[in-house]
Amino acid sequence: MADVHVDKSVDARGSYCPGPLMELIKTVKTAEVGQVVEVLSSDQGSAKDIPEWVKKVGHGLLYNEKAQDGDYWRIAVKKAK
Amino acid sequence: MADAPKLSLVLMSPDMEKIHAGALMGTIAAASGMEVNIFATMDALKMFLKETVEKQDFKIGEIGNKLMEKKVDPYYKMIEDAKDMGELKVYACSLVVDVMGWEKEDMLDIVDDIIGVTAFFGIAEGGQIMVL
Repeated sequence: MADVHVDKSVDARGSYCPGPLMELIKTVKTAEVGQVVEVLSSDQGSAKDIPEWVKKVGHGLLYNEKAQDGDYWRIAVKKAK
Repeated sequence: MADAPKLSLVLMSPDMEKIHAGALMGTIAAASGMEVNIFATMDALKMFLKETVEKQDFKIGEIGNKLMEKKVDPYYKMIEDAKDMGELKVYACSLVVDVMGWEKEDMLDIVDDIIGVTAFFGIAEGGQIMVL
């Protein structure tokens, strides 16, 4: 995680499914190809759902892990196209 | 995206929970690159009237009430967002519109057109159809 440069970060904690994914998609849309977008989510489904969306649309998943400092996930996506 | 996989959702029930689930699945499908067509018919079409949303006059159960209480984006907001993210169209059933004496202007702006089942089958052809 430490060596990943995050260009845009979205704090979607407190938002219910599919809110974090929707926030991520909106942000990825405005990012440049090659940029990294990170989303913070407290929704139970995000850790499973976001990687599935990333795979489906062909971006890159850099990390998907539970934060050490709380009950939420940090997920980073590299825009591929 | 003529070659995109296609999903068509037939909404029949006016239950808030079913409309919400349908809107959610349609939104994710559209955001994942699928072509999505929602055909709202029978009592489900009432959920696409401006009047219903203005009065928040929903047929709603325990889960639907919880969704509203927790301010989860409502179905019409999800559909609006989905239209920005991908290919999603909403069609109103012409039979219901005619028997109820409704007009296109009575419908929410997310409704793209009023069509019959024949036209809907043409649009849905070759894709999956889900009925809720």
